[in-house]
Amino acid sequence: MVALVTAFSRVAEPESQCIARALRRRDSEFIGRMVSRYHYRLLRYLVYWTSRREQAEDLVQETWLRVLEHAGQYNGRLRFEPWLFSIARNLAIDHLRKQQAATARHRMCPEDEASLNLPAPDFESPFFAAARSEDAKRVAAALGALEPIYREALLLRFQEELSLAEIAQVAGAPISTVSSRIHRGLSMLQASLGGGADAA
Amino acid sequence: MPLENHEKARFLLHRSLVEGISVEDRHWLDAHVEQCAECGRYADLSARAVRALDWFAFELDPAAALRVENVVRSRAEGMRSAGAQVKSLWIGTAVAIFLTLTGSAVTWRPLAWLASQWNLPSRVWQVAFVAFWMLPSLFLAFLPLFRRRLLGEDSDSNGQTV
Repeated sequence: MVALVTAFSRVAEPESQCIARALRRRDSEFIGRMVSRYHYRLLRYLVYWTSRREQAEDLVQETWLRVLEHAGQYNGRLRFEPWLFSIARNLAIDHLRKQQAATARHRMCPEDEASLNLPAPDFESPFFAAARSEDAKRVAAALGALEPIYREALLLRFQEELSLAEIAQVAGAPISTVSSRIHRGLSMLQASLGGGADAA
Repeated sequence: MPLENHEKARFLLHRSLVEGISVEDRHWLDAHVEQCAECGRYADLSARAVRALDWFAFELDPAAALRVENVVRSRAEGMRSAGAQVKSLWIGTAVAIFLTLTGSAVTWRPLAWLASQWNLPSRVWQVAFVAFWMLPSLFLAFLPLFRRRLLGEDSDSNGQTV
């Protein structure tokens, strides 16, 4: 009877609780399945942050390793996705800061300027690589021009379908700020599409 | 049409996309958008902008995904076995301390009797007992817990040697 009740409570348990328990127990089978399940979404989120596919792929692995290290902090009361994305976000920001610092150091040393071989954003952009039509290329240009915080807000709202409160949790910003970021991001995309329509 | 109607329509359009609007507002917005070409175009652009995000479907590299999965799995297994090792060390230490204390209690009386037979002052044999019986036992009991630190091995927060 006890086993039956336990089994039933496990079945009725919310997914977030299962994830929290598996993380605490370092259940490698379950965690492996989660890595596979969230791989695309995490990669896409990090591509939206970094605008670089290779960096995003490296950061995906770092994100999961950090999830394991901080597994005890996730209690399963809230959904897993915002917690996962907030870890990925912190890593992406650290990464971009280091990159900016490195770029600034190179700029301060003129003799190193020749060795500074940063790729041109437009041609390296994964958005361009994914764009299949002229419209998509225009939107890719708009996305590439947007700051990562606006791209992030658009992705989390319209592709991950997170609520404003959840996006605020990920971004560590007030809901009103998140709302205005989405508004600004959408306006940029509208302008790129509108410009294309006018041109046509 | 009053200017504020267009502003209201754009405000509601944005809100409907971001957080949703009430049924009354939805009716008003639909009616306005049907009548107003400019706001209709704006609504169409908004919907296209949201749909445009779906155009960027990144192709996954299955090998890269599998590599990440394997790395994370093996780290999880490593952390779990390190955790189990730490747990067994604590249990072993607790058992060793328990045996030291019970062993000391059991040997106390025979030693006191022997000391009295050899006419040893009680302070002398008690200090010798603590120095040569209890302290070495306690040291050995705690040694495994501080083995890494004593050997100068570095370890991360999860008990794994890096």
